Amino acid sequence: MMERQGYSRVIVGISALLIAALAFGCASRPSGQFFGKTEPPANNTLRYVSGSEPETLDPQISDGQPEARIYMAIYEGLVECDPKDQQPIPAIAKSWEASPNLDEFVFHLRDNAKWSDGKPITARDFVYSMRRGFSPETISRTAQLGFFIKYAEAFKSGFVFVKKNGEFLLEKDFGGVEKDSQRIGPETEFSKFLHSPARVTIDGDEKKRNKALAADPKLAEAVKGAELVPVTAEDIGVEAIDDLTLRISLRQGAPFYIGLFANQFFRLVPAQSIEKNGKNWTRPQNIVTNGPFRVKEYRPYDVLSLEKDPNYWDAANVHLDGIEFYPIEELSTIMNLYKAGSIDAMLNHAVPSSWIGEMRGYKDEYLNFPEMSTAYYAMNVTKPPFDDIRIRRAFSLGLDREALSSFRKVTKPLYYMSPTGVFHDYDKAMAKVSEEKRAEKGVSPEEWAKNIKFDPEQARKLLTDAGFPVAKNGDTYSCPTFPTDKVTLTFNTNENNRSIAEFVQSQWKQNMGITVPLKTMEFKTFLPFFKGLEYSGFSQLLWSGDYVDPYSFLSLEYGKANEGGSGFYDPKFDKMLDDANSELDMQKRYEMVARAEFYLMDQVPVIPLTVNATNWIKKPYVKGMYPNPGTLIPWKFVYFEKDPAKWDKDVANIFTTPDPKFDKQLEDLKSTQQAVAK
Amino acid sequence: MIIVPMALIVVTLTWGLIRIAPGNFYSGEKKLPAAVEATIRKKYGLDEPWYKQYGMMISNVIRGDFGDSLKYQGQTVNEIIWRHLPYSATIGILAYLLALAIGLLAGTYAAMKQNSVLDFGPMSLAMLGLSVPNFVLAPILVIFFAFTLYLFPPARWGGPSSLVLPVITLAAIYAAYIARLTRAGMLEVLRSDYIRTARAKGLSDWTVLFRHAFRGGILPVISFTGPALAALLAGTVVVEKVYALPGLGDIFIKAVLNRDEPLILGIVAFLSILIMLFNLIVDISYGFLDPRIRYE
Amino acid sequence: MAENLETLSGSSPWRDAWKRLRRNKLAVVSLCFLIVMVVAVVIGPVIIYSATGFTYDSTPTDNALVRSLPPSLLHLMGTDDQGRDMFARVLQGGRISLMVGVISTLVSLIVGVSYGAIAGYFGGRIDNVMMRIVDVIYAIPYILIVIVLLSVFGGPSTPAWIQWLSTTIGGAGNQGLSQLFLLFFALGLVSWLTMARVVRGQILSLKNQEFVMAAKATGVGTFGIIFRHLIPNALGPVIVYATLTVPSVMLTEAFLSFLGLGVQAPYASWGSLADIGIKNLAIFPWQLIFPGLTMALTLFSLNFLGDGIRDALDPQTRKF
Repeated sequence: MMERQGYSRVIVGISALLIAALAFGCASRPSGQFFGKTEPPANNTLRYVSGSEPETLDPQISDGQPEARIYMAIYEGLVECDPKDQQPIPAIAKSWEASPNLDEFVFHLRDNAKWSDGKPITARDFVYSMRRGFSPETISRTAQLGFFIKYAEAFKSGFVFVKKNGEFLLEKDFGGVEKDSQRIGPETEFSKFLHSPARVTIDGDEKKRNKALAADPKLAEAVKGAELVPVTAEDIGVEAIDDLTLRISLRQGAPFYIGLFANQFFRLVPAQSIEKNGKNWTRPQNIVTNGPFRVKEYRPYDVLSLEKDPNYWDAANVHLDGIEFYPIEELSTIMNLYKAGSIDAMLNHAVPSSWIGEMRGYKDEYLNFPEMSTAYYAMNVTKPPFDDIRIRRAFSLGLDREALSSFRKVTKPLYYMSPTGVFHDYDKAMAKVSEEKRAEKGVSPEEWAKNIKFDPEQARKLLTDAGFPVAKNGDTYSCPTFPTDKVTLTFNTNENNRSIAEFVQSQWKQNMGITVPLKTMEFKTFLPFFKGLEYSGFSQLLWSGDYVDPYSFLSLEYGKANEGGSGFYDPKFDKMLDDANSELDMQKRYEMVARAEFYLMDQVPVIPLTVNATNWIKKPYVKGMYPNPGTLIPWKFVYFEKDPAKWDKDVANIFTTPDPKFDKQLEDLKSTQQAVAK
Repeated sequence: MIIVPMALIVVTLTWGLIRIAPGNFYSGEKKLPAAVEATIRKKYGLDEPWYKQYGMMISNVIRGDFGDSLKYQGQTVNEIIWRHLPYSATIGILAYLLALAIGLLAGTYAAMKQNSVLDFGPMSLAMLGLSVPNFVLAPILVIFFAFTLYLFPPARWGGPSSLVLPVITLAAIYAAYIARLTRAGMLEVLRSDYIRTARAKGLSDWTVLFRHAFRGGILPVISFTGPALAALLAGTVVVEKVYALPGLGDIFIKAVLNRDEPLILGIVAFLSILIMLFNLIVDISYGFLDPRIRYE
Repeated sequence: MAENLETLSGSSPWRDAWKRLRRNKLAVVSLCFLIVMVVAVVIGPVIIYSATGFTYDSTPTDNALVRSLPPSLLHLMGTDDQGRDMFARVLQGGRISLMVGVISTLVSLIVGVSYGAIAGYFGGRIDNVMMRIVDVIYAIPYILIVIVLLSVFGGPSTPAWIQWLSTTIGGAGNQGLSQLFLLFFALGLVSWLTMARVVRGQILSLKNQEFVMAAKATGVGTFGIIFRHLIPNALGPVIVYATLTVPSVMLTEAFLSFLGLGVQAPYASWGSLADIGIKNLAIFPWQLIFPGLTMALTLFSLNFLGDGIRDALDPQTRKF
């Protein structure tokens, strides 16, 4: 009798706990206008969850987004990104000019820009920063972005020039195409060198060089007995014309390049501290910064505390007194802190998928906008059965992306390599080229749409054609001959990845009768498996654009050693992109890029899945912070609005709602460049 | 001292595992240019034969110098460990003390009142912590204490009130272990000859319990305490993640996932020394606690 | 210590124990619950399939149903975000969780008990060496072990016997299950360590007692003393600790799954279901309550049964 009482007590105990939890859980449903405590902090210091612990405070090393946002607060470069559309706006450069074919830029620096230690910033600081970044000694994961700069890649790769009989060997004599280069700004000794015909560079490592030369007998013959001159930091295309004028020369025209100078790699690093402290220069006692904020206190894994830097050239327009970055990754913890009013905003994708439905209800806080980031399944085109284009197309057509996106709640379906709805002018070019293609084929618009979208019937037909007949049994299909034991759908461990994979798996099962086994892997195990093309079948590929241009996505499949992970390589596609990039007319260039994209998608190296969307919340009193395509926040625009009447309302219109304070600040900042442009 | 060579064995085996594991610290989403990879390999001696690399590593370890973290550049491993140990240690020790208090009390009480409702009552409560995983318990505590009663902050380090929830979460599971081990250990001891003798001498129940039975009865708890306390000091991943605390546990897991070799080796060496030290203390305390154990 | 001699002489201490266990109502209820649970996870999925057509990984063809639905007559425990029947998933998860628990417990009983007993009995240098080996294994990070195991054996080059085992248990083409076997192996590898320490501690305190002397005097060999006299007398803590191992390995499995080193989607375990459930607690509470309650009740029963068995094996159960 007694025992039974004890037992029932146990059950009652557990049930009570769970029911209590449930009751309180439900009680947290939308009740007030705002989610949790909503009160601007009294000390005018923004509390922001930045995601994972920053790897380092050295902006040239890390390629992470959490770091990028922190660097934007403490370092500045030539340009900054516009808080709304991420286009370049003046920063340390108050204005700039470009050569007609966009392969050379001259930047005019401000005369009042200073380091946090009070030292003035000059063009030589930029030369130092870039030389350091491109040095093979600097282990940078972003330096590739700068390889358009003349001889930067050769320097980074430890290459050498070849000097024979007092003359350097030239590219044009060995099959290279000499690009027409135009100088802008005054002529100097250095500019003469940069605008002379491009020199041949070859690997400085003897073994690798011999291997490369073996494939090119003409060059090998020429190199024999020649003097090898290392490419040095002094050779790269960056020049301080005077204290406040900087010239950057590219090896070819790149219309999207100015925007890239806002990237963390191009932000200034302090020569004065690096020379003195070496690897310890990022320690709080040694660090010298040049952004709107400087480091106040750093407690790794707890908080990075910044304060407004009075030496910053635009300090008068920095509204916050400080920022606290919290490195927290657990999404529900972030949401809890937000609800308790302990943080004001958070990094992108911080709202867990199960909360999205509820968060949408908070119209003044939830930010859901197109993002410059995409998800694909790469297919290994080097291993059967996915070396067969029919199989690849079948799997692409057998997936209902509309359903996937409505299941994922915040994403949009994707049918191409580059994200749709982010590059507006490019979308127009895509539509035009698509229409051309349709007219060429002479099919109806409906049929043309079907061609790339969901078409399970066609998918089954393609599979049958490729030798894997699909049988219909009642409502279901089966494809018994398809080697499901040889293929997998591999992704790195993450709840969202898993949920997409499970959805896609069941789609293929329903539409084609094929159950592709799923395989989740810890990230570092996944990387060599994916990049080394060890997988067979599908691998998940997520990509975020580095700059606002479709090329940032199409270059995934460019070149032999590309990052696309499919093993795809097509010289014709590369040539189409190269030609497009040397086109000066913007819209014409977009059309050429669009043609290349259609050509690429005809070969189905990847199954595009979704265009991601921003998915985060901020308190309505935080103003001047916008969900731009990369969620990159120029912090000096951010301010707290104390007056609840002026708080953000209905943030779906956040980009179009005027904010006089912000608009004026942005306008003033842009004016220096607009004056030059006119 | 045997501890140092043992720690070196652990470090060696761990080093081997890291080298077998796929991926390396510098692999990332974007491929590195070949020359940069070559620089890295040269800088960290990865192009040397393995025995040379091992020799370098082990001689550094012997000198107590684990070098810099590979992921968090410019921070030395020793600095990271000593910076985060106090956080883990504070939470771990507080949680273990709380668990000991609850567990010993519940276990002893249950053993004395075996098979009565006074046995099952405390035991049921103790087992709650065992049956509800801490990744479930923690959010429920947060919902209840932070968002319903507004007693404690939901996360982050800062002041004693921020420690309450993590300590309770962590203590729950250990209290359950201790309670059950105590109950079993006490029952075992209570029927043994020396307790009979003590009782026959006419000593009171309480004297017998605390002067004699208790010392022997908590032996299983003592065995458990060594490794448990070491593990607690080295941090507890779930609690640190849910409550966003800067403890060593999460740092260690990340180090493994990042293949941050010096940091992994540093923490492993530290942990193995702790484990062996605590186990040594446990072994010695056996002799004091249980008159039946004699070391030859 | 007549009881121990009874054990030796082969009278029926086990029948006595069974009698005592049956008198312990709580233990009996726990036992019944566990039996029901085992039967349910073994045949439950088949019954659900024949009754409703749901399996742990079947998603509805109608895209409108691919979402979390609350419990109904059709889905007794509701559905998860992919529209899969939670009841089928909880039962399938039970298969994996219980298997993880049972296998690790067996390893810890067989390896841990004999290892600890031998170390404790021989003592001195042997004890020292054996215990330091335990310490070394304990100190090596098991995540690293699991990562290495999975990369060496989990790839395309998985040994044939693991593939054979996984196809036998999970049906054809289940690459996810072969990873699970590696997981069992990895968990087994570490689960016996604390058991060995606990047993050793017990043996140390038992080995100088009179009944051991008596056994030695009657010419019982070392092996006999350890396995027929010492271990049966240390069974109490052993059983308690064995039942403590089950929850801890289940939680370890959940943690490894969280890191991508455990059970592969679309398979689930109670731990991984509860992990997803806790995140959805505020919105889809049934996704935590059902797997959570099933798991909690199972662990509860297991632990009460453990205490019950311990008490039943203790021949001198009496009030203090």
